[in-house]
Amino acid sequence: MPLLIIALATYLLVGMLTMTVPDSVAFPGPRFFPAIITAVLYVLALADIFAVIRKHRTSDTLQTVESSGTYRDGDPAAAAHEDVITRVDIRSLAWAVGGFLFFALTLEYLGWVIGAGLLFWCVARGFGAKNPLMALIVGLTVSSLAYIAFDMGLGLNLPSGILGGGF
Amino acid sequence: MDALSLLADGFAGAFTLQNLLWVLIGCLLGTAVGVMPGLGSSMAVALLLPVTFALEPTAAFIMFAGVYFGGLFGDSTMGILMNTPGQASAIASTFEGHRMAKNGRAAQALAVAAIGAFIGGFISSILVVFLAPVLADFSTKFGPAEYLALAIFAFAATSSVVTDSAVKGLLSLALGLGVAVVGIDGVTGIPRFTMDSNYLFDGISLVTVTVAILALGEVFYSASVARHQEEGKIIRPKGRAWLTGAEFKEAAPAWGRGTLIGLPFGIIPAGGADIPTFLAYGTERKLDRRRKNPQFGDKGAIRGLAAPEAAGNATTGMAMGALLALGLPISATAAIMLAAFRQYGLQPGPLLFERSPELVWALLASFFIAMVVLLAINLPFAMLWAKLLLIPAPYLYAGITVFCGLGIYATSSSTFDLLLLLGIGLLGFLMRMNDYPLAPLIIGMVLGPLAETSLRDALTSSSGDFSVLFSGPIVITLYAVLVLMLLLTLRSKVTKKTGNDI
Repeated sequence: MPLLIIALATYLLVGMLTMTVPDSVAFPGPRFFPAIITAVLYVLALADIFAVIRKHRTSDTLQTVESSGTYRDGDPAAAAHEDVITRVDIRSLAWAVGGFLFFALTLEYLGWVIGAGLLFWCVARGFGAKNPLMALIVGLTVSSLAYIAFDMGLGLNLPSGILGGGF
Repeated sequence: MDALSLLADGFAGAFTLQNLLWVLIGCLLGTAVGVMPGLGSSMAVALLLPVTFALEPTAAFIMFAGVYFGGLFGDSTMGILMNTPGQASAIASTFEGHRMAKNGRAAQALAVAAIGAFIGGFISSILVVFLAPVLADFSTKFGPAEYLALAIFAFAATSSVVTDSAVKGLLSLALGLGVAVVGIDGVTGIPRFTMDSNYLFDGISLVTVTVAILALGEVFYSASVARHQEEGKIIRPKGRAWLTGAEFKEAAPAWGRGTLIGLPFGIIPAGGADIPTFLAYGTERKLDRRRKNPQFGDKGAIRGLAAPEAAGNATTGMAMGALLALGLPISATAAIMLAAFRQYGLQPGPLLFERSPELVWALLASFFIAMVVLLAINLPFAMLWAKLLLIPAPYLYAGITVFCGLGIYATSSSTFDLLLLLGIGLLGFLMRMNDYPLAPLIIGMVLGPLAETSLRDALTSSSGDFSVLFSGPIVITLYAVLVLMLLLTLRSKVTKKTGNDI
C-alpha cells in the first residue's frame, strides 16, 4: 500500500514539473497546494513503511499474540498484513472485478438490460451463488426492473444497446 | 419567533403529498440498507446519490434526510439483534443492546433504541431550527483565513482523532486532497494532472469517488474477505416492542444525558457520531458503578443502550444543521450530502438561507417528519425488517454492484467514468484491506478545494505573508481548540496503552 501511495505521489510530482505555468501567475500559483500534498504523501508513506518494518521486527518475538488476533480490527502490523494476503479469495475477487470491467467496456454495445444482467450474474458467482441459472434469471429481472424504473420512470439515460429496436 | 414562522412555511412545503411520499421512500430505503449486516447509512446515501439527481432538489434532499436517519435506525436494529453494527457509530449501542437481546429482552432493547434515537434526533432538530440561522449569520464574518482554519480543523480531527493510526488517517486524507486537485485549476484555468485527457479536465467527480470507495470497494471486500468470516446468529425478539413504566423511567434520564452529550459534537468537525456514542456509553457505565446494584455486564443495561442511541442521533441532527449553515461536513455522510448540494448548484452556508429559504425550511421540517415516520415504521415492525436478511448475500451484493454502475452511468453516460469507478473501487478495497480509514479521503476530497482557494486567496491578498493565516480571534480560537483536542487524544491514547479496563 505505501508503494501505491508513492506511485501516486510521483504522478503528482511529474504532473507538477511538466505543468506549463505562465510567468504572470503570482506566488501561490496552481502548483503551491499540490506541492504540499505531494510532500505530505511522500513523508507519510515513508513513515508508514518504517512503522511496518518496526512492527515486523517486534512481531518476531510476539508471534503468538499476532496469530491469535483477528486482522480486521487488529493492528496494522506486517505480520497481520501477510495474513490478509493469504486469506483473500482471489477467485471471488476476479469474478467481481472482471465482471465489472466487462460491464464497463461492453455496456454501450450490449445495452443496459443485458450488460447489467451479466454483471449481476458475475458478482453473484463471485459471492458463491449456488445456482448459476437462477442467478442469471434474477439478474435479468433486476436489470429490466431498473431499466423500467429509472429510464422510463425517472428519465435517466440508460443505453438500450442491441435490444434498442424493441423499445 | 422568526424561525417558527419560517418553519411553519417549511412544514407547509413539506406536507405536500409528493414530498411526504419521498420522506417515506427515503426512510424505508434507509432502514432497509441499514438493516443489512455490514452496510451502514453512509453506503445507503452514497448509492442513492446519483439516482436522486433525476428528482428536483427539494424532493431529493427530503429523501436524503429520510435515508440518512433511516440508516441510523436500521444500523442499531441489526447491531442489537445480530451483533453486527453497520457503522462505527452503532458500535457503542451494540455492547449492552446485544446483551439485552441475548437475555431475552430483544423487544425492549429495540424499543429503547428506537425511542432514544427519536428523542435525540427530535431535540437536535428543534435546536437546529433556532441555531442554524444564527450560525449562518455568524459565518458571514468568515474570510479565507477562517475557512482555511475550519478546513484544517476538520482534516486534523477526522484523520487523527477518530482513527487508530494517525499516519494511515493522514495518508487517506492526503489521497483525497490529491484526487481533488486533478482538473482545471479554478483560479488560473490551467489544467492540472490531466494527462491531457479531456475526461479529466473537469476533475474527478466526487460522486464517482464516493460510490467507488463506499460501495464498490465494500463489495470487493465482502466478496473476497468478509464472507469467509463467521456471521452472528440473529436473535428473534419475543413479545411486542414496548416498555413498561418502570423501564421507561429507567431509560429516560439516560436518553436525556445521551442527547446532551451528542448535541455539541454535531458542530465540531470530529468525524460524526463515533466519539459521542462512546462517551455516552462510558458515562453511563461510570454512573452505573456507583449504584447499589450495577447492571452493566452480562444481562445488559437499558441505560447503556439508551444513552448512545440518543447521543448518536443528536449528533447527526446537529451535523445537518452545521452542514446547512456553515457548509461544513463533519462526517463522511454529511460530506456526501454536501456533494449533492453542489451537484444542484447550491452552496450550503449563509447564502443558502437567503437564496433558497423554501428548500432549507422544507428540509428542516422534513427532519421532524422523518423522525416520526421512522419511529412508526421501526417500533412495531422491527421483526419485519429482519426478514430482509433472507435475501441471499450473492444477490444482495450483485444488486448493489448493478446499482453502482447504474448511478454512475446515468450521471455521466461515459465508459471512462465506469472504468474510473472500478479503479477507485479497487483503491478503496486495498485501503480497506490494510486498515486505512475511508472517511478522511471523502472529507479531504470535499473540503480540499475550499482549503486550497482559501489558502491562496488569503496569501494573494497579503502578497505572500503567511502571518495572515494566524490572525483574527476566530482563527486563533479554532487553532487553540484543535491543539487542545490533539493533546487530549494523545493523552487518552497513552492511558489506553498503559491500562485499559473493559
